[in-house]
Order: sequence, then C-alpha cells, then structure tokens
Amino acid sequence: MINLAQRDIAHSLGKFVTTALGVGLLVGVVLIMIGVYRGMAHDAMIVPNDIAPDLWVVQKDTLGPFAENSRLHEDLKYALRGFSGVKEVYPLTFQSLQITQGTKPIRIYALGYEAGGDFTPYALVEGRAIAIPHQEVIVDTKTNFNLGDRIKIGRNSYRVVGRTHKAVSSGGDPMIYMDLDEAQELQFLFSNEQIRNDRARGGNAASIDTVNAFALQLAEGHNSATIAQEIARWKHQQVYTAEEQGEILTKNLIERSAKQIGMFTVILLIVSSVIISLIIYTMTIGKMKEIAILKLIGASNFTITKMIAQQSLLLGILAFIGGNVFAHASADYFPKTIILIPADALKLMVVVIIVSILASLSGIRTALRIDPASAIGG
Amino acid sequence: MRRSVIKIEGLQKTYGSGESAVQAIKEASCEIYSGETVALLGPSGSGKTTLITMIGCITEPTSGKLYLNTQLVYEGKWQVGDTRKLRRENIGFIFQSHNLIPFLNVQENVTLVPQMNGVGDKEANARAVELLEYLGVGDKLDKMPSQLSGGQSQRVAIARSLANNPKIILADEPTAALDAERALSVMQLLKKLSTEQEVAIVVVTHDERMLPLFDRILRVEDGYVREDPKS
Repeated sequence: MINLAQRDIAHSLGKFVTTALGVGLLVGVVLIMIGVYRGMAHDAMIVPNDIAPDLWVVQKDTLGPFAENSRLHEDLKYALRGFSGVKEVYPLTFQSLQITQGTKPIRIYALGYEAGGDFTPYALVEGRAIAIPHQEVIVDTKTNFNLGDRIKIGRNSYRVVGRTHKAVSSGGDPMIYMDLDEAQELQFLFSNEQIRNDRARGGNAASIDTVNAFALQLAEGHNSATIAQEIARWKHQQVYTAEEQGEILTKNLIERSAKQIGMFTVILLIVSSVIISLIIYTMTIGKMKEIAILKLIGASNFTITKMIAQQSLLLGILAFIGGNVFAHASADYFPKTIILIPADALKLMVVVIIVSILASLSGIRTALRIDPASAIGG
Repeated sequence: MRRSVIKIEGLQKTYGSGESAVQAIKEASCEIYSGETVALLGPSGSGKTTLITMIGCITEPTSGKLYLNTQLVYEGKWQVGDTRKLRRENIGFIFQSHNLIPFLNVQENVTLVPQMNGVGDKEANARAVELLEYLGVGDKLDKMPSQLSGGQSQRVAIARSLANNPKIILADEPTAALDAERALSVMQLLKKLSTEQEVAIVVVTHDERMLPLFDRILRVEDGYVREDPKS
C-alpha cells in the first residue's frame, strides 16, 4: 500500500524540511533552557568540588560562604586544627569583582587560599601553581587572559601564572585564584584615607585577618557529622558537611532561577505545541481538495488519519533532530554553561512525540469533516 | 443480456428544513443498464450534481430507493454499513478537472484504489500499467500530474476510475476543461470502454455536441428527471 504521508512529504520536501527546522529551533531552545538549568547546577558545584572538603565552617547562623556572607577570624584555624579527627584546615575568601580586559569589563569570582602549599583548589590546564605568594594569580580561560598577562585588581597588578578551564562560580563568572593575604587585602583592607580618618576618630584600623570560610579535611575513619557537632558546640560556628553545602548551593541558591527556567521551558513547550498544531492544521487545509478526492474514491477515515498523524509525527521527529543539532552546535557560544545530557533529550523526544500526536488531532478533525462531494465540480 | 446496475425510484433530496428548505431533487426515477452511456443534462442549479452524488453514495437522499448492481443501497436510510467501501468497490469517478492526487505519480494514482481494496501491490501495478497503456499514456507511469497535459491527465483519471473494475462510472463534466478535439477523443474513449468492458457510464455534461455519442439522455429540470424524447 502506498504511504500517502511519505509521498506528500516527498512532493513538497523543501517546504516540509524548512517547516520542521523552524519548529526544530523552538525545540532546540527548549533543550537549551534545560541545559541552562543543568549548567547552573553544575557550575554551582565546581568550586566546592575542586576544594573538596569534608566540612565547611562558616559564620554562625549563616548559609555561607556561597549563599550568604560569612566572616570569621583567620586565627580560628589554629583552634580547628586542634579538634580530634581534623587533618587539614584551609582558610578561604570568596569575592565577586569586576576587572577590565583591555576596555572590556569582566565579572570574576576571586578565591583566596594559602598559596605555596600542597592545597590547590583548582585543576590547571596550563602554567603552574602560585609558587611565590606575591602578585601572582591563576585565571580561567573564560577570562581570555593568557599566561604572562598582567591584571589590575584593586590597587595592585597581578601576573597570570596558570590557567584553568571551565572553572566558574555559581553565577557563571570565571574564577580567579590568588594568595590568601592578597585576597584579604583586596576584600578587607580600607583605603589609606579611611584608615587615617578612623585613627583621627580614635578608633583602630580594622584587622584584615578575616576569612569567609574554612574548608576542613578529616582524617580517615572519622565521622564528619560528629566532628561538625563538636565544632559547632565548642566554637559557636556553623558547620556544614560537603553534602549539606551541596544542598544549599543546588537547592537554595539556584532554586528561584531553576523555577524561572522551568516556567520558561513549559511556556516554550506550549508555544511549540500550538505552532505544530497550527502547522498541521494549515497543511491539512492546504490539502482539502486532495482529501475530498481521497474520500470520494473510497479512502477510509483510517487512511486519512494515518496520513496526517504520520506527517505530524515526522514533523515532530525532524524538529527534534534539528533542535538537537541546533542546541549542540550553539551550546558553546552561550556565555553561561549549557549542559546537554541524553536523558533530557530522550524525555523531550517523548514530549515532542506526544505533542505531535496531540497537535495532529485538529488537522484530523478538519480532514474528517471534509465533504467528499466538494471534490465534484470545477 | 442487459443487467440493471443503477435503479432509482422516487429519489428525493431536500437541503435544510422548515422555511429555508430547498428541494434540490423533487422526484427522480430511472434505470441504467450495464454497457450504457447516459448523458445527464440540465441547466446550472438543476440538481445534476446532487443526483450524481446520491447515485455515488456521497450525498444521502431524503427519501426514495436506490439500487446499485441490484443491491438495495438506500431506502429511508443507507442500507449498507460503509458507503465509502461500497464506492471503492463498485463505482469509478471522473471529475471535471482531472483531480489526480498531485503528490502521487501516474501509476500510483491508478494503483491507489485497488490497493485500498486489498489488492496486492504486484497485481495493482500490473492492472495500472495495463489500463494506462490501453488509454495511451503507458509511457507516463513515473510522471507527476503536474507534468501532464490536460488530455493526458484526464486519461489517467479515466484509468483510475477503471482500476477497481467498476460496473458504474460517474463522470462530472469530464470534457469541460479540454479543447474540442481532446474532448471528443475522451468521449469516444468512454464510449469504447462502456461497450468493451460493459460499464455503465453516467456523464454530467453541458456539451450538446457530444450527445450523439450517448445511448440515452436524461434531463434534469426543476428537480425532476425525465428521459429525453429524442434519445
């Protein structure tokens, strides 16, 4: 038996493919929106995963250091090292900054750590770690700075000695790593004028020996929850396990954005459904005469329904393929990380197939109402 | 021996109801036999198309009786469950403008009906080739309808109407879109078919020049059908 849908598509292939690719762009945008959400969740965990601590110690009653501000005295590290089971304590600072590359402003996220030791909270792709803690930085490739470049940050100029790739903050800003002392100066040191004014008012210049969080590594065989309870009890600080910090980042920090993206995705899916439906309806209206002839020469409702449903389904599948190609081809050009995973694509394929079948119903309804007598006459 | 293939008794058709009701066919009775060519004449709006669509089981009559191949098809309501199947198996249609399916090639246009009737691809294709060769368009099998002339298209349409071996062909002004020479050729072809294949052919026409080619002439006027006394 001749496949009417196939023959009709072959007859106007260019038009059909162009239409499918148009719908495919919409499907691609849906896929990219899902990818943006995945990217946000992924980006949020890059820094914590690179630091990879067992426990986070932050200011009491805060969700620091990523979701809320947190300030702690740096010398708390000595006390923390004294707890049984604590192997290493790394004081850290985190700060959002804006620098310029040429004339172009760039948002960056600076992580200060005690450079020169074994602790390297990043994965280098070129260059070296900060060997001498003196105005050296490591930057992500996304900043477009190269090895040897000098970057003006605050009052000082820093030389790029190493580069990471795809190391970004939860907000998608590229990372920059610097020595803790210099990071503290950058974040906590007042200007000379303010120090002078403070002295004139009889006050003392505030100490800059402050950090935003401590990353703790525990010795093997120790229970992180127990040590967290001990630190919270005796040092009156907030302590999170790595899992809890992950929860804060992926749930609290990006929850609202995720909902926003989710709503956009749903709206886009509805728009896609309406568009597919309209296209199938228009395609059916354009074939009213042929459908009337088919009915007149005896084609069953099943034959006509099959023709429209197959076309709708093929349109959906082609749009899905086109959308995937578009999404994969354009993902790297977006300023934020887009993560496209097969599981999401598969789910979207099922949705597109269901939408295509539902969208064909309006066309089928119209086709079944066509009077075969309309084929007779001029 | 002549067999009755179409028999209508007191067939009526009224569109709408109440004050807006329009009686398109007030009374139609006639019998048409196998191998006959019958012209259906009448002015525009006289009810010719309504009558032919009722005979073709497309439009449901309001009252009366309709027999096709001696089978009672309509009496107060359709007497067959699937009129489309009945059409597919018993009636061939030829239209004013050939009305071939534009996305099917010549051969596929002809094989479609037998295939819908469950005939295998091989047999349907062989039948299509045989018919298209018989009608002089055997060299156009792979052509699309848009690549054919008006006369060639109408021949393909005739081949399609014959593909299911019908005993009845209903043609709605099949020569209207053709020049005089091609129109005559098509009518002669239909006449030849009715004789050779014993098909009853009912043709709606305005073309008085073709009337000598018909065995009988039925005139539809003011909703009534009567046999032309000249025939």
